[in-house]
Amino acid sequence: MSEVLEELRKSILEYDADRAEEYALRSIEEKVDPLKSFEAMTKAINEIGEGFKKGERWLPDLVGGADAMLRAAPIIEREIKKRGVKRQSLGVVVAGTVFGDIHSIGKTMVCALLSAEGFEVHDIGINVRADEYIRAIDENGAEILVLSALMTTTAPEMHKVIAFLVEKGLRDRVKVMVGGGAITEGFAKNIGADGYDPTAPGAVKVARSLVGR
Amino acid sequence: MTRGFRRRFRPLELLSEEQCNEVHHGMLEVLEKTGVLVDHERALDLFRDKGCRVDFDNKRVRMPSYIVEEALQKAPAVFTVRARDGKDDIVIGGDTVYFTLFPGMDTVDLDTWEPRSPTLREHNEYIALSDALPNCHFLACYPYFGYKGVPEVLKILEGIAVKLRNTTMVQTCCYSHGCERFTVRMVEAIEGMEAMGATHSAPPLSFSREMVDTYFTYLEADFPLWIGGGPVLGGTTPVTIAGSMVVSNAEMVAAVVLSELIRPGARVMVHDYALPINMRTGSPDFGAIEAVMHQAVFNQTWRRYGIPAVSTNAGPVSSKKIDFQCGYEKAFAAFSAAISGVNVIQFSGGLYGELAAHPLQAILDDDIAGMVGRYLEGVSVNADTMALDLIEDVGPIPGNYVGRAHTREWWQREFFTPKAADRLPLPEWLKTGKKDCLDYARERLEELLSTHKPKRLADEQEEKIEGIMREAREYYRKKGLIGDSEWKEYMAIIESDEYPYSR
Repeated sequence: MSEVLEELRKSILEYDADRAEEYALRSIEEKVDPLKSFEAMTKAINEIGEGFKKGERWLPDLVGGADAMLRAAPIIEREIKKRGVKRQSLGVVVAGTVFGDIHSIGKTMVCALLSAEGFEVHDIGINVRADEYIRAIDENGAEILVLSALMTTTAPEMHKVIAFLVEKGLRDRVKVMVGGGAITEGFAKNIGADGYDPTAPGAVKVARSLVGR
Repeated sequence: MTRGFRRRFRPLELLSEEQCNEVHHGMLEVLEKTGVLVDHERALDLFRDKGCRVDFDNKRVRMPSYIVEEALQKAPAVFTVRARDGKDDIVIGGDTVYFTLFPGMDTVDLDTWEPRSPTLREHNEYIALSDALPNCHFLACYPYFGYKGVPEVLKILEGIAVKLRNTTMVQTCCYSHGCERFTVRMVEAIEGMEAMGATHSAPPLSFSREMVDTYFTYLEADFPLWIGGGPVLGGTTPVTIAGSMVVSNAEMVAAVVLSELIRPGARVMVHDYALPINMRTGSPDFGAIEAVMHQAVFNQTWRRYGIPAVSTNAGPVSSKKIDFQCGYEKAFAAFSAAISGVNVIQFSGGLYGELAAHPLQAILDDDIAGMVGRYLEGVSVNADTMALDLIEDVGPIPGNYVGRAHTREWWQREFFTPKAADRLPLPEWLKTGKKDCLDYARERLEELLSTHKPKRLADEQEEKIEGIMREAREYYRKKGLIGDSEWKEYMAIIESDEYPYSR
C-alpha cells in the first residue's frame, strides 16, 4: 500500500478527520486510484467496527472514525465520478432525520456503517422535509430511504414522508427503513415501513436484506 | 388547591457557592459567544428587536448577559395553574414538591414484558386511576401516546381528550404537527381551566421551527410553559457533568429568554432530562446515578434563578420489567431530586425510556412518592412531639406507648403507610398466599377502578370537545396524514360503544 493510502487508513483508525481530509486530497494530487483510496477507508472503518463488536472499541471511537470517513469520502467520490469509473455498490441509500427533528448522532452512525458495508450513501442531513427526501431519491436513484427520529413528537413525521412517497408514486421504488430513539418495531409496522432495527449494526443487516444482497 | 408536599429543610447542595457561580458564568459565556440556533424567523426578529445579536443566515442568536438576567428576573418564582375544579389548582414553586405521571408510548404485557398499544378502555382506566392516586398531583404529557387504532398524527390530541374526560386535575399538553391549535381550543372550551403547554429545546443549543411555534401558540393563549430538553452526556453535551450542566442550562435559559420576550412575566418551569450515553449502544442510560447527580446540580442552579425546576429523569428506567432494578433506579432518582430542591417530579408509571408505562407501576410509584413526601415533610420538634410528660408517665418497662392517646393522635401524621408494600411478618405472609408488592398493586388497581368514578365533563363541555376533535380528524385527513386503512380502523372505534362521545 502506498504511503498516502496507509496514512488515509491510519487517519480514520485514529479518528482524525482533518488528516483524513488532507490525505484524501493528497491521494488525488498523487493520482492514486480513487477506488483504492475508498477501499483503504472502508478497511479502516471495518477494523473499527470489528473492535467495537469485540468490546475493544466504544461508541466515541465508532463515531470518531465515521466522522473522519464522512469527511474524506465525498472528496474521493467526486474523483471517482470525475474519472467515470464505477464503484461497486450494494445499493444507493438516501438518509436523513425527519422534519422537526435536528438530532444526528444515530443517523451518522448508520450512514457510516452502511458506507463501510459497501452502500453508496447520501446523507441529506437533519430537519428534512418530505419533498426534500423525494428530490434526493430522484436525483440519486436511491433504492433505500433511511428515516431517523429521536423524539416521540417527531416520529409521526415518518408517516407523513411515507404517505408522500405513495402520493408521488415512488413507494414501490424505494424500501423505507426507520430508526431512532422514539421508534419501536410496532411503530415501524404501523406506519408501513419496510425495515427497522434498534441498533446501527442491525440496520446494516436490514439494508442488505432489503436489497437482497 | 392540590397541596403536594412541602420540603421543610435546607435542600441538598452538591456544588459550593463558588462552583455554582462558575457554572452560571459558563452558561452566560455560552449564550453570549456560541449562542443558540433558532430556526424560526418570527423568533429571530424578536430576539433582534430586543437587543440580541442575530445572524440571520445561520439562524444563530447570541444573547448579552443583561438580556438573560432581565428575562430570568421576569419569570415568576411561584405561579398557579388553574384546573377544571378550583380544588385541583396547583401552585408551582417555592418549597412545594408535586409528583406526576411519567409517560410511556405503550403499555406492557405483564407476561412477556413486551410493549403493546393500550386500548381506549385501558387508556381511560389509567387516567381514572391517576385521578384516584393520592400522590399523583397533576398530569404531565400523555401518559400513553393515544390508544390502539388511533392514527399516529392524532395520538396526542386523542390522549388529551381522554385526560379531559377522566380527571379534574391540571394537565400538560405536548405537541405534534401543529395540534396545539386544537389543544388550546379544547382546554378553553372548559371555562376557567388552563393547561401547562409542554415544549422543548433540541440539544445541543438548538430550537426547531415546530418547537418554537409551540412557544408562541401556548404563550399567546396565556398557558404556563413546561420547558424541557433532553441532553445526553457524551452525545449532545460534554461528557462531564459540569460541561453538560453549562450547555443544558444555556439551552433552558435561552428558552426562558424566548418565553419572556414573547410574553413578559410568562409562567415557566424547566425540566432536567439529562442522561449519560451508553458507550456500547448509544442509547441514553435511564436510571444512571450521573443523571441523578445532574438533576441535583440543576435544581441548585435553578433555585438561584428563582424558576421552578422539574425532574424528568426519575420517571424512566433502563429495566424492562417491574423488578428490583426498576425500583432502585426510580427511588434513587426521586429521592435525590426531592431533597435537592426540585418542584415537580415526573415519575409514576414510567418504565423503560418513554416507551412503556403501566398502571401497576404507577401504583407502586405512588408509594415511593408517599415515602419521599413523608421525608420532605421533615421532623417536627415541639413540646407535643417530644412528649416529655408522656415519657415521664410511661417510664421504664413494663410501661409502653401503644395504647396511649398520644400514639393515636400522632401515628398517622408521623408514619407513612404504603398501600402496595408487603410488610407482613413472615408467618402471616406464609399463611396469606406469599403476596408481593405486585400482587398488592393488582388488588389496589382493581379496587380503585371499581370504586373511584372521576367527575365527568358537563354535556355542553363534552359536545365542544368532541366537536373540536371532529374538526381535527377532518383537518389531518385532508392533509393526507391519515391513510385509508388507518381511517377505517379509527372510525370503527369512534362509532363503537366504547366511544360514547360521538353521538
